[in-house]
Amino acid sequence: MEKVSKSALVIGGGIAGIQAALDLADMGIHVDMVEKKPCIGGRMAQLDKTFPTNDCSICILAPKLSECYRHPNITLYSYSEVQKVEGSAGNFSAEILKRARYIKEEECINCGLCVEKCPMRVEDEFDRELRKRRAIYIYYLQGVPAIMTIDKEKCLWFTKNACRICEKTCEREAIDFEQEDQIIKLENIGSIIVATGYSLIEDIDKDVLKNYGYGKFRNVVSALEFERLECASGPQGGHIKRFSDGKTPKKIAFLQCIGSRSDRVEKYCSSICCMYTTKEAMIAYEHDNELESYVFYIDMRAGGKGFQSFLRRGAAEYNIKYIKSKIAQITVDEKENPIIIYEDLDNDKITQLKVDLVVLATCIVPPQGIDNLAEILGIELNDYNFIKTTPFIPVETSKNGVFTCGCVHEPMDIPRSVAEASGAAAKAAEIIRGG
Amino acid sequence: MSEERNEEEIRVGVFVCHCGSNIGGVIDCKKLAEEVRNFPDVAYTEDNLYTCSENGLAAIKKAVEEHKLNRVVVASCTPRTHEPLFRECISEAGLNPYLFNFVNIRDQCTWVHMKHPEEAYDKAKDLIKMGAAKAVKLEPLDMIMVNINPAALVIGGGVAGMSAALSLSRQGFKTYIVEKEDKLGGRLNSLHKLFPYDIEATEFVGKIINNVKNAQNLEVITSSRVINIEGFIGNYEVEIDQNGNIRKLEVGAIIVAVGSSLLNPQGLFGYDGIKRITQYELEPKLKNKDLKAKEVVMIQCAGSRNDERPYCSSVCCMTALKNALTIKELNPDIHVTILFRDLYTPGTSYEEYYRKAREQGVLFVKYDEDRMPNVEENQVKVFNEYIGDEMIIAYDLLVLSTPLVANSDNKDLAQLLKVPLEANGFFLEAHVKLRPNDFATDGVYIGGSAKWPVDITETISQGYAAASRASTILSHETIEVEGATSILPEYNKSLCTGCEVCIKVCPYNAIKKNENDEIEIIQALCKGCGLCAATCTNKALVIRHFTDDQILSEIYAYGGE
Amino acid sequence: MRMEENRVSFEPKLLGFLCNWCSYAGADLAGVSRIQYPPNMRVIRVMCSGRVDPEFVIQALELGIDGVYVMGCHIGDCHYLDGNYEAIRKFDMTKKFLSFVGLDNRIRLDWVSASEGVRFGEVVSKFVEDIKALGPSPLSGDTPDQELLEKVKAIREAVSSNRMRALVGRQRKITEEENVYGEKVPEEEFDVLMDQAIKEEYDRHRILLALEKDSKSVKDLGIELNLDPSIVLEHTLTLKSRSQVDFQKIIGNTPIFMRI
Ligand SMILES: Cc1cc2nc3c(=O)[nH]c(=O)nc-3n(C[C@H](O)[C@H](O)[C@H](O)COP(=O)(O)OP(=O)(O)OC[C@H]3O[C@@H](n4cnc5c(N)ncnc54)[C@H](O)[C@@H]3O)c2cc1C
Ligand SMILES: Cc1cc2nc3c(=O)[nH]c(=O)nc-3n(C[C@H](O)[C@H](O)[C@H](O)COP(=O)(O)OP(=O)(O)OC[C@H]3O[C@@H](n4cnc5c(N)ncnc54)[C@H](O)[C@@H]3O)c2cc1C
Ligand code: SF4
Ligand code: SF4
Ligand code: FES
Repeated sequence: MEKVSKSALVIGGGIAGIQAALDLADMGIHVDMVEKKPCIGGRMAQLDKTFPTNDCSICILAPKLSECYRHPNITLYSYSEVQKVEGSAGNFSAEILKRARYIKEEECINCGLCVEKCPMRVEDEFDRELRKRRAIYIYYLQGVPAIMTIDKEKCLWFTKNACRICEKTCEREAIDFEQEDQIIKLENIGSIIVATGYSLIEDIDKDVLKNYGYGKFRNVVSALEFERLECASGPQGGHIKRFSDGKTPKKIAFLQCIGSRSDRVEKYCSSICCMYTTKEAMIAYEHDNELESYVFYIDMRAGGKGFQSFLRRGAAEYNIKYIKSKIAQITVDEKENPIIIYEDLDNDKITQLKVDLVVLATCIVPPQGIDNLAEILGIELNDYNFIKTTPFIPVETSKNGVFTCGCVHEPMDIPRSVAEASGAAAKAAEIIRGG
Repeated sequence: MSEERNEEEIRVGVFVCHCGSNIGGVIDCKKLAEEVRNFPDVAYTEDNLYTCSENGLAAIKKAVEEHKLNRVVVASCTPRTHEPLFRECISEAGLNPYLFNFVNIRDQCTWVHMKHPEEAYDKAKDLIKMGAAKAVKLEPLDMIMVNINPAALVIGGGVAGMSAALSLSRQGFKTYIVEKEDKLGGRLNSLHKLFPYDIEATEFVGKIINNVKNAQNLEVITSSRVINIEGFIGNYEVEIDQNGNIRKLEVGAIIVAVGSSLLNPQGLFGYDGIKRITQYELEPKLKNKDLKAKEVVMIQCAGSRNDERPYCSSVCCMTALKNALTIKELNPDIHVTILFRDLYTPGTSYEEYYRKAREQGVLFVKYDEDRMPNVEENQVKVFNEYIGDEMIIAYDLLVLSTPLVANSDNKDLAQLLKVPLEANGFFLEAHVKLRPNDFATDGVYIGGSAKWPVDITETISQGYAAASRASTILSHETIEVEGATSILPEYNKSLCTGCEVCIKVCPYNAIKKNENDEIEIIQALCKGCGLCAATCTNKALVIRHFTDDQILSEIYAYGGE
Repeated sequence: MRMEENRVSFEPKLLGFLCNWCSYAGADLAGVSRIQYPPNMRVIRVMCSGRVDPEFVIQALELGIDGVYVMGCHIGDCHYLDGNYEAIRKFDMTKKFLSFVGLDNRIRLDWVSASEGVRFGEVVSKFVEDIKALGPSPLSGDTPDQELLEKVKAIREAVSSNRMRALVGRQRKITEEENVYGEKVPEEEFDVLMDQAIKEEYDRHRILLALEKDSKSVKDLGIELNLDPSIVLEHTLTLKSRSQVDFQKIIGNTPIFMRI
């Protein structure tokens, strides 16, 4: 095939965006990838293991990250956002805001000397604020690109005009306080793929979780926080401890459909929580064979490949008890042990269970900033504010030439996100090749 | 090639990186660089502040030229991030990129032994000694080029196959669909409406079939089957039997989209095909509006999620809701009760559909696997999990939601393609999460319900996905594959006993016996894991870049001969 | 002996084979996280743990290395799908052979993922500690135990033998998949087969090595190797049928065997 002159723009560097970009790049099509965060990887980088085979998430993701970063057909704009898009299918142009990270990208070798010296401690967003990072930081240890970023909001130089200690420490002279935001103009874009993933309900509205004790009781955590706690490179080094007293929990309650399938919050089902909950309980059990897990659920939704056997294994081998139930209330006793009051649908009784830790399977919601992005792109959103797609063609948006994949149009697991990503790449390629 | 090597004098250059103070702050890199000069075949050494910087790379190039180096060792961070850079550098200096070896003295040495600088120094020295010893044995390798025939074969003409074929043909590739029936469309030909959009199935699939008929580059071969497949990625020869006529196709990639079958319902809940039928049999009744029943009961998971078929067929709950809603539309007075275990309506629009069914007065009764509904002549006895009591529900039509099952002839196709099936007989993809539409064998892809029961939405995106994966290959006249593959070198041919252990152990079907009954490694498929070399009964196979000779030389360098 | 006095100050010399995708990445992460662990182990990077030929492990021990660690991806995570299953097979066989000479506790197989930087440090520390407790390998130092050395050499040749490699190579397919007749050999049954082969090949390769130095009678071989003469005879005849030994001459009624 002759060389194609049109390129593709992929917005979002989670697993879906990465896969779409890699497929296109492997077809010989140039891809510009825009990622808001300092590193690509998305949510998958935050997970410990992944159902249904429980492979280590970063192990299978890392080779993809570096492939994406190094691919001769992919230009990555990290720490960047799309500001403007014009034109139509086959001929879009776009403006990218590339935010200053105050680091010379080619110079930084991620040695971390600067981090050690930086006096400013900041809540670590990647670790769901369960630990602190510094004002100069790498988004996560295995992150790509493997370079530092200075958090302008927190850096003492930018806030108080003092310090600049990193500059003195860096042997590579990689720190550049004079750096400025850049606007990059991209032309000749044949198609666009939107893969900006999802947020969680606690990111946009903590209040709705108050009923479940989240933010109120220290021993109530969200599922994504629990992933970080289980992870060997997470804030507790993979040894799960309660925040109230540092004790290892022996009894954990997992509460399903928190904010999902609800009349008050979101009506839809988040699709993946039944599965990841069983996974989280399994892994917790692998850490500690005395653990008892209780999963409080409405319907067990496990239709994917190998999912039913996964649940069966969970019940048979990992000491997980599944309780069909409606949660009435959560309180704590004087030792901060959570108490769950629920209606057991198997015997129709109101029952109480005291546990050491509660994990909430919180609702998946459209990613923050989706309205703005939809406006820039001129695409429609659906009733729930996810991207609206053509009936039966989940990768097509309301605008010709703009495609989508992954959680940004509907909550879904990794296999489906990856399949859709390839699907979106095929559709994007059709336009770029003039089909 | 081993003979050739002996003639050339080996001259190894070692470059020790300070990495600022990351390495240099713990151990004395200058001294180290001097000391390693005494190792066998080392002709030149130097230390650099940052070997990966422009200065460092220039220094390597200069030294290669001035000192006639033909092997380069860099002792610095980790090959996982920096090997490509240095390989490129020495290739610019005129050396084959495989004549480079990496020694990790930062991530796995100075960073982890900061408080033991002396030991760290000794370790770094050992590692360099080992690395240099391996470098001596390194051989130049060429990237392997494979020609690609830019045409594709899609097996199966349901929505999955048609979506894949349409996308490939639109991308400009000659595409064939081989369909065993006399028409395209698959399962959708016999359905009524489609959830969740309430579109007529025949209308929907009719449009796609039309697109296929009008597409350029796309040829449909109906009433035919694949009977033989030879070749490998980029170069397949396929034999098709069309009503007794044999035809040969040459393609570069193959997509499997053979869909799924229906479970034979005999013996399930008193199935008789008249009063007790399946959802599939209900659909034409609804289409023809010849439903006489007043009391309809549907049983979910009929024949699935049990020990025999431990999976959820994932489309049956929605099918039941769809048909229940259609019934309500025909006549709101008909009672519809759905007996279910867990209602599978994930995501946004499916959950909405469930709410709609409840609003329309469809009754839902949850039963448990341990207390299966008991079907009698005119009524069903079921233990209602929500109420905790037995219920008796009268019916004049019982509808079983039976699962999609794997085609019984998948096995034959799997054998032709040398791809695996999973326990239920569906096709098994290369990696459940990250390669959902690939097979482990490059060049063969999979999409739709042949892999697992899925709805149309997922089927279509998987059809496109398979097309995308195939396109990553078909877009190139030739593809380059890793040079560090396995081979059966000429000088080892006599060692091979033809035991075929290697064929069995290779995860990628990269090894076969050729026409001459000799073991041959299909370079295009080999991923260089080295399992075959480690297993070969007579050590005939050689995994390049990680040869026995190379690894043993590292061991000797450390252990002392 | 040397072992006793050295135990306290002894710093073991260890070798690790790490698969590129998980364990090597885990070791790198230990570095990035500045996890500190003892500096006793040198690493050889291989693409997959299944690449580690038993010969490598034995060769390292033969050279006096105090312990060998093989690390790969966790089961199910292997970058090459199931290379680590192959690693288990090879490792188990190696370990069984080494149990004849009491060196089996000097080798270890483990899984370390790319996120287990801390754990990498931990398992290496533990290995160093355990080998310290064992003391230096009897094959290390300037005066290695010669008798043992001969035995380990025999093991190295045995693991490289056609028979052992064929058995290990087929093990997974034989025990996990049906053969053409639709039968599967149960794991336990295979183990019995395997154990028997290991014992036989060990003895046979010792005989071969002994004959390499000079030709001997069955009786002398029995005495030298501390083996029952009837077993030696049986083995020698097998080796003869494999064309690895032959009669050199017959003295009286006693045949003298030589290596071919
Ligand atoms: C607790 C938990 C556990 C899970 N466990 C599993 C599991 O075990 N197995 C499984 O299969 N799935 C699991 N999942 C689901 C999995 O996380 C998703 O399927 C997957 O991450 C979706 O990938 P994505 O690329 O669509 O989105 P994301 O991973 O969210 O990636 C989106 C990317 O886009 C970027 N972005 C966002 N907005 C913008 C913008 N405006 N401009 C540029 N970039 C932007 C984001 O920074 C991010 O990098 C789990 C989810 C949760 C919450
Ligand atoms: C009763 C029922 C109702 C349903 N309703 C809906 C609905 O409303 N909405 C929805 O989204 N989904 C529905 N589904 C699911 C839907 O049918 C599937 O998602 C879809 O048919 C899958 O498409 P496919 O192309 O994978 O397979 P199929 O439709 O099965 O097509 C496979 C094709 O391959 C051909 N083939 C098979 N073997 C070979 C071979 N060896 N060589 C050549 N050709 C071969 C077949 O003849 C067929 O044409 C329903 C399913 C059932 C059973
Ligand atoms: S900015 Fe400088 S000190 Fe910080 S990691 Fe990069 S190179 Fe090292
Ligand atoms: S190296 Fe691995 S992929 Fe290549 S032929 Fe050998 S077993 Fe197959
Ligand atoms: S790649 Fe790690 S064990 Fe195979």
